[in-house]
Amino acid sequence: MQSSSHAAGGTLPVPRLAGHFASLEVQNHAARLGMWLFLATEILLFAGLFICYGVYRFLFPEAWAAASRSLDLTMGTINTVVLITSSLTAALAVHYAKEGKNKMVAVQIALTLVMAIGFLVIKYFEYHHKFEIGTLPGRFYSYEGIQLPGVPMYFTVYFCSTALHGLHVVIGMVVLAFSMVRALKKADFGPNNYTMVELGSMYWHLVDLVWIFLFPMLYLV
Amino acid sequence: MAIANESRQEEQNMREEHHGAGRYWLIWVLLLVLTAVTVVTGRIHIPTWGLVLALVVATTKGTLVLLYFMHLIDHRGANRLVFAVSILFVVLMLAIPLVDLGTRYRGATPPGSTMSDMQAIDIGADAQEGRYGGGLRKEGKMGEESGAPRQ
Amino acid sequence: MTPSSSIAAPGATPAPEEHHDHHPSYLVDGTTIKSWLLTVDHKRIGLMFLFWVLLFFLVGGIFALLIRVELLTPGPTIMDAMTYNRTFTLHGLVMIFLFMIPAIPAVFGNFLLPLMLGAKDVAFPRLNLLSLYIYLGGAFIALWGMLNGGLDTGWTFYTPYSAHTTTTVAPVLFGAFIIGFSSIVTGINFIVTCHTMRAPGITWFKMPLFVWAIYATSCIQVLATPVIGLLLCLVTVENLFGFGMFDPARGGDPVLFQHLFWFYSHPAVYIMVLPAFGVMSEVVATYSRKNIFGYRAVAYSSLGIAFVGFFAWGHHMFVSGQSTFAGGLFGVLTMLVGVFTAIKVFNWVGTVYKGAVDFKTPFAYFCGFLFFTVFGGMTGIALGTVSLDVPWHDTYFVVAHFHFIMVGATIMAFLAALHYWFPKMFGRTYHEGWGLVSAALIILGFNATFIPQFLLGNNGMPRRYYEYPERFQALNVASTAGASLLAFGFIIIAMYLTYALVYGKASGKNPWRSKGYEWVSESPPPTHNFVGPQPVFPEEPHFYVDPKKAEVPDAV
Repeated sequence: MQSSSHAAGGTLPVPRLAGHFASLEVQNHAARLGMWLFLATEILLFAGLFICYGVYRFLFPEAWAAASRSLDLTMGTINTVVLITSSLTAALAVHYAKEGKNKMVAVQIALTLVMAIGFLVIKYFEYHHKFEIGTLPGRFYSYEGIQLPGVPMYFTVYFCSTALHGLHVVIGMVVLAFSMVRALKKADFGPNNYTMVELGSMYWHLVDLVWIFLFPMLYLV
Repeated sequence: MAIANESRQEEQNMREEHHGAGRYWLIWVLLLVLTAVTVVTGRIHIPTWGLVLALVVATTKGTLVLLYFMHLIDHRGANRLVFAVSILFVVLMLAIPLVDLGTRYRGATPPGSTMSDMQAIDIGADAQEGRYGGGLRKEGKMGEESGAPRQ
Repeated sequence: MTPSSSIAAPGATPAPEEHHDHHPSYLVDGTTIKSWLLTVDHKRIGLMFLFWVLLFFLVGGIFALLIRVELLTPGPTIMDAMTYNRTFTLHGLVMIFLFMIPAIPAVFGNFLLPLMLGAKDVAFPRLNLLSLYIYLGGAFIALWGMLNGGLDTGWTFYTPYSAHTTTTVAPVLFGAFIIGFSSIVTGINFIVTCHTMRAPGITWFKMPLFVWAIYATSCIQVLATPVIGLLLCLVTVENLFGFGMFDPARGGDPVLFQHLFWFYSHPAVYIMVLPAFGVMSEVVATYSRKNIFGYRAVAYSSLGIAFVGFFAWGHHMFVSGQSTFAGGLFGVLTMLVGVFTAIKVFNWVGTVYKGAVDFKTPFAYFCGFLFFTVFGGMTGIALGTVSLDVPWHDTYFVVAHFHFIMVGATIMAFLAALHYWFPKMFGRTYHEGWGLVSAALIILGFNATFIPQFLLGNNGMPRRYYEYPERFQALNVASTAGASLLAFGFIIIAMYLTYALVYGKASGKNPWRSKGYEWVSESPPPTHNFVGPQPVFPEEPHFYVDPKKAEVPDAV
């Protein structure tokens, strides 16, 4: 994936073929397969938290139900819509990269980044509210409204998983920002050279995918 | 120069995949509809099947994202295998601890849980912390560790 | 497909001799320090990994000797209890995370995978270099933590103790977390290399068995390592903030920690031992001068071990409070691993049978390896039986068992690989006599170290104690004596290999007359592995005898 980052420079929008690959198609295939493998590791990373979630939900169903109702469903839903829409713009960025419309690539990625920031801002307000009323992880939990065994554990899982997801949002933004800068400065994305946008966008979709599962698990059970 | 067949197949799939942008918008609309479905049904709090329904909807949404946004429908071969294997491992990794907890000796599960006969430990007995592991809001007590004794 | 009678490996497009001068070997192509530190050549990266891995092996070995010296007498010998706790923790951490896991994949996998696939490099050479520096970064963070306070939890960091101990848990766990990234990057790189970089003619079932083993190992690395990464983060957070994720006082389940921990750490055993199996499949075919017996069975059993090995993790938790049902389930799954391993052992023995055995140093290690694998594997089956594990759990029986597999099998394979591919890596030969002497010393010393520990464990001596009753002393002294013999063997190896590195005779291209694909290129290979047109590989990788004309070939 890194091998394609140096274009021939000048007019031809063809990525440089690294010397050890037999051909460009092999190089693209390698980059894509590598990305899928990396995404698989990300899935397993989140899986650890999903398992904590599953186990403790199994152990404390009432606490889970009560605690999830203390979350702000409206904000969660808005965040879901924002993230799904940002996934759409990320997919469109790849679409335009394939067609060589570099301006549109930059616009779509910029929209994605704006929505990502929006997601983080909404998340900040949710976190802030929790700090105020004291629905915090483990021994920091001090909310009088719900006193059930297992409720502090819910917020441990909540904060760990949303924080890890938020970290991935930030990483995804950085990755996409690189593609945007390239689309603006070099403007060399085209039918043969879109791997960089494609991989960044795949990462972004993974962030979306994780949230698609986190949202009902945390807000709706 | 000859290359592995796999890469050639992949390239061919990728060439076939290009299509209009309309497909992405359609998927987006579907995802929003499904989000609405899951929010509306989630608010009703259907007793037993609520979680199942939420997970089915989430899986459908996830599948749409995977197949169309992430182009898994065009990436065949090893890419799909990688993804399928990772999902398989997640499911098995979740199932086995649950089987363990479901069949465990009740004295060995966390106290206070549905699988345990014991009361939740009241670590607030010394008035430093509230019941069920949460801390009471007291100035100066927040940063202090009070679980197992420190050495 | 007629057997080639020439010295050169089959199907190789011979490199034109007259161009030899224009393609210096990778060792001398660029001699500045920068040309090594910033190289993207998989062979140089492999060698740098070799250097660091050996260094950490030395560190872990010193900890091991300290433990053995401490256990010479029933009371305190050279250290107090806390120092002892730290010493065995550091021994485990260094040996597992810094030596055993990268040992064969990162060193020999890096060096040989592209050569065996007829490729110029791995798929992502720069990521490959990055993985080296991630590894070093993690290693130094972990070592810094160890020197500034150490860690006394054992390498397993079981909660709730690891969440409450005052020793430096956080930096050490963070270091291990970073090393995990190195492992993931290496795994991704190797899988992609196997899928996309194979030379024309190398189909999936013509890949050398070492490549199959590395492929299976990489799958484990990719699938398991993220879980431990997350878990190490959670424990660090527990330790720093006390969120109570695994704290029973807050409704947490410490057994869940063990589930997640062993989800990585049991497959990690196969990260250590599968490459060893791969090395041995190569060595046994070469020195028996026979085609590997049951190639597909060996290849599939690598994948089988990788898959089944994932679902055997609960046998570490038979006495941790997990359910008896889960215990039985894991017991059965554990025994399935034995089935796949037995397939491999059967095929190795079948390869040697009626072969023209050339008893060189790597083959000596193969013999030791076979014994250790069978012995360690059989005790593993015994330990996988719930009723037997209950009295044996956390005794020296377990310690001896896993050292038989991890040291017995993996170190034998590491040394066999080092000797077998020494000419490939450096183009020089070592002294065969000293090689056999040190192999004998190491195999004897190893048995003398760990067979007494089986007996100790069976008599009830628990692990991780620095004092013991008088009646255990004789066996402990025997074990320490064996460990000294083992250390002596390693010192001899270090001496003659260092000597060979400088003064060894030139080995020529293929000193063992092996038919392995990696010997197609020069020894040591030029920077991009192959000079001239890309080689094609029409024959199978371990092709010594045409099965249709089953005649026994002459020995080397």
